[in-house]
This record gives sequence, structure tokens and C-alpha cells, in this order.
Amino acid sequence: MSAIPGERAERVGRAITATATVVAFFLVFAPILIVLVTAFSPTEYFVFPPPGLSLRWFEEFFRLDNMRAAFVLSLQVALVSASVAALLGTLAALALARRGGWVAGLLQGLFLAPLVFPTIILGLALLLFYRSVGMPALPGLMLAHAVIGAPYCFRSVYGGLQSLDPALEEAGASLGAGPLRSFFLVTLPLVWPTMLAGWLFAFIVSFGELNTAIFLTGPGTTTLPIEIFSYLQFQGSQLVIAAASALQVAMIVVMVAAIERVVGIGRIVRSR
Amino acid sequence: MSARGRLFGWGILLVPLAVSVALFVGPLAQLFMISLREPSSTELYGTGWTLANYTQLAEDDFIARIVWRTMWTSFLVLGCALAIGYPVAWRIARMPPRKRSLVLLALLFPLMVSNVVRAYGWVAILGRRGVVNTTLQQAGVIDFPMALLFTPEAVVMGLLTILLPYMVISIANALATLDPRYEEAAASLGAGPIRSFIHVVFPLSAPGVASGALLVFLLTLSAYVTITLLGGPRSKLLVSLVYDSVVAFQWPQAAALAFVLLALALATCGLILAVLRPGRVQGGAR
Repeated sequence: MSAIPGERAERVGRAITATATVVAFFLVFAPILIVLVTAFSPTEYFVFPPPGLSLRWFEEFFRLDNMRAAFVLSLQVALVSASVAALLGTLAALALARRGGWVAGLLQGLFLAPLVFPTIILGLALLLFYRSVGMPALPGLMLAHAVIGAPYCFRSVYGGLQSLDPALEEAGASLGAGPLRSFFLVTLPLVWPTMLAGWLFAFIVSFGELNTAIFLTGPGTTTLPIEIFSYLQFQGSQLVIAAASALQVAMIVVMVAAIERVVGIGRIVRSR
Repeated sequence: MSARGRLFGWGILLVPLAVSVALFVGPLAQLFMISLREPSSTELYGTGWTLANYTQLAEDDFIARIVWRTMWTSFLVLGCALAIGYPVAWRIARMPPRKRSLVLLALLFPLMVSNVVRAYGWVAILGRRGVVNTTLQQAGVIDFPMALLFTPEAVVMGLLTILLPYMVISIANALATLDPRYEEAAASLGAGPIRSFIHVVFPLSAPGVASGALLVFLLTLSAYVTITLLGGPRSKLLVSLVYDSVVAFQWPQAAALAFVLLALALATCGLILAVLRPGRVQGGAR
């Protein structure tokens, strides 16, 4: 007798999870898929089903000076800021990885804070700070992205160091290596994949970043996401935006493939 | 560790700490200071100290309406994310480990694509010349494009696009580490699946739900681009007012609005933690 309501509950449960899964995957993936499809549209406006495929909007993208410049600038900003972020995150992780106590805990919280802190407030704070100290636009933008990317590097390297056997460094020390030597000869070769993964993550974050960039970009220093945003606001949704967006997605695919080669991306899913 | 090693350890901390103070803590402290200053037409802020930037906001009915709308939208998004995300996470947690990693990976990928790209995706679907309108017009179902964009519904959908993966990944990780013997124990003691869910499974997944909920809430509050592109000028939220004040060079007002936003965020995070009490679960407080 009692098995019947249980079975019914199970059937209802299955129906609910199946429906929710369809809805969730639609909400998450539909916008990206539609961008990729419309980017190859041969017509002035997207019609469904598309009458064919063309690269005209990608040609248009590279023909527009603003778009091309924004793409190149985004790459430069991402390269520099990810490198600075990797340096900061690695140093912080090395200093804190084997340390307990409330000071280390507090510092860890401080280094991870930009992950959850509302970035739009950070963007505003940096805008006012840069104005009061006269920081030039481009380095300011790169540093802002480095601050946002550093926690990803910190977390990645910190995780790598936690799983590292301290006996290896002790062995280095007992053989007479000073802290610098044992770092370069023992620790660095073992954690560099996590550093590289952190760097790639910081690159991705910078390449798509909006909330600080919206305050810190200006004429001549506009990143691709901001260029897409202002184009959408002031020129409307033309298909060159789809091409720009598809390029953004393509760039991420390349970076994700790189992460997969370096560390295996499954680790990142679990560490989130 | 040797004394030299310890010194070296603290030494390398100096650079990241200095950057963190100079570019994170410091500017936020300065922003708070500016929120307490009189406005100035020539400088970033005037010389006198005042609470007027905050009291003006408190007296403004328009602001009150926007704050109300912001909270309402945020909780709606949070509720939807939980209602849709939990069953999905449940399903993913029950998959064999290899398949589970693949699905979680698939959900991680969209998070890396810029928010503006995903918001544009919705514009391409819902806009006047979007897929829905052009298809329905061609099919002769409608004569004129429907106004699907610039609606609260579009904002909620756009925000869910960004936030659902966070919710699903957080909860799925919590559920996957759950020992199935707890459920078996509940069942053997006579609890049906619903009772066992309410009293056993859900409380044990609270840490995952809490971290997902906090992320969803914090990211909703600062999702300016999504809100602007999908909500348009009539569905402004608090974050839009911060931006508008910046564009109008009202620095002290923008600073005060930013701290109102931050206070709302912290208060709600406290509320979420108080309701879900993730600390109850051993080793779950993150």
C-alpha cells in the first residue's frame, strides 16, 4: 500500500527535474546559440530559418575602426592584467598556503573578496580614486582588471599548493637550498600548471569584464564588451554586434581548450 | 620552517597586500568618505562634511520605489533560480561522476562568455526584429512586433541566464557529496520522499544553497548592463541610478547610492545566511 504514493512522488519528482532541466538549459544556452547563428546570417536582419551562411558581418566587424580597435585593446588589457593578476595571486597564495591563524584567514578573505564584491561599486571607487591621483586611463583599466582577476589566480595556486607535499620543500631545504632556490627548483615546477590555469581564467574574466570597465573606459580606451554595449545602446542591434559577440565566444573557446590542456578543466568545476 | 623561510613568507606577501590596500580597500574607504562630503561643481567633492547625500535619498519617493523594485526583482530572480536550479542540481548530482563533470563543465562555459554577449542574445530573440517577432510575423500570427524587450520579464530571464549556472553548480556540488545512507536511514524510519527531502536532504544541502543564493543575489545587484539592455529606461534598478549619478557628475550622490546598494547587499546576505544556517552542516560553513 505505502509503496504507491512513494512511487507517484518519484514520478512527479522525475517530471519536475526533467522540466526544470529543459527550462534551465534553454535559459542558459539559447542566448549564446542565437548569437552564434545570427553572426553567420547573410541578410541585413536575421530571418528564421536563415537563407544561407556568410561571413559578411565578420568582414564588417574588422572594417569598422572602433570595433577592430576595441578587439585589439581587449586583448592587450587581458594579456597585461592576467599577467599582473597571476603574479599577485601566486605571491599571495605562496605566502598564505601553509599558514593558519586569524591573520592568515583575514588576509585570505581580503584576497578573495573581489570575487563576490559588487564590481560596479569597485568600478566607481576606482574611478574616483584614479581621478584624485591622476591615473592615466589604460594602466588604470589594466590594474582594475588585475584586481578582479587576482582572486582566480590566488584560488587556483592556493589549491595547488595545498595538495603539494611539504616534505618536497623540506627536502630542498635540508639539501641546503635557501627559500628562493627551493622555490625556483622545487615549488615552481610543481605549481606552474595552477598558475597558468589562473592566468587563463584571469584573461577570460578581463576579456568579458563590464562593471569596472564601464566607468574606466573612455575615448581611445574602449574594450570590446563596452564597445558592444554602447553600440547596442546608441546604434541599435545590428548584426555586426552578433559577429563581435561570436568572436568573444570564439576567444573563450580557445582559452578553455588551453586550460583543458594545461590542467584538465574538471578541477575548476570542483573548486567553485 | 626556518626563521629565514618565515621572513621570506611574509616578505612576498607585501606586494599583493599593498596592491589590495591601494586598489581595493583604499578606494572603497575614499568612496565612503566622498559619500559624506558636500557636492562641488568643480572638484570631486566639496570641503564640508554632511549626511545630506544619505538623507536626501531617504526622503526621495522615487528612490524608495527603485529600492523596492530592486529588492523585489532580486528576490524574484533568487526564487526562480532556486526553484529551477535545485531540481537541475538534484538531477546532475545523481549522474555518474564522469557525466556529472561534463554537465557541470557545460554549465561553466556560458559563465565565461561576457554578460553583454548573453544580454545581446536576448535582444536578438526578443527585440522588435528579433527571432520571435520576425518568425511570428512571417507566419502571419501577428501583424506588428510585440513589445517583449524592455519588460520586467525580459530582465528576469536575462538575469537567470547569467545566474542559474552559479546556483546549479553550487547546489550540485553540495548534493553530490551527500551520503546516500542518510536518505536510506530516513526511508527505513518511515519517512516518505517528501518528508525525507524537507527534513534530511534540503538541510544537508544548505551550504550549497547558501553559497549559490549569495552569489545570485550579489550579482543581480550589480548586473547593470543586463538590466539596462533588457529593461530599458522604464525598468531601472538601484544600480542604474548609481550609473546615472556618475554620468551627471554627482560624485557624492553616486557614492552614497553605492553604499546604499552595498548595505542592502550585506543585509540580505545576512538574512539568507540566517534563514539557511549553512553552519549547521558540519564542515559546510564556507
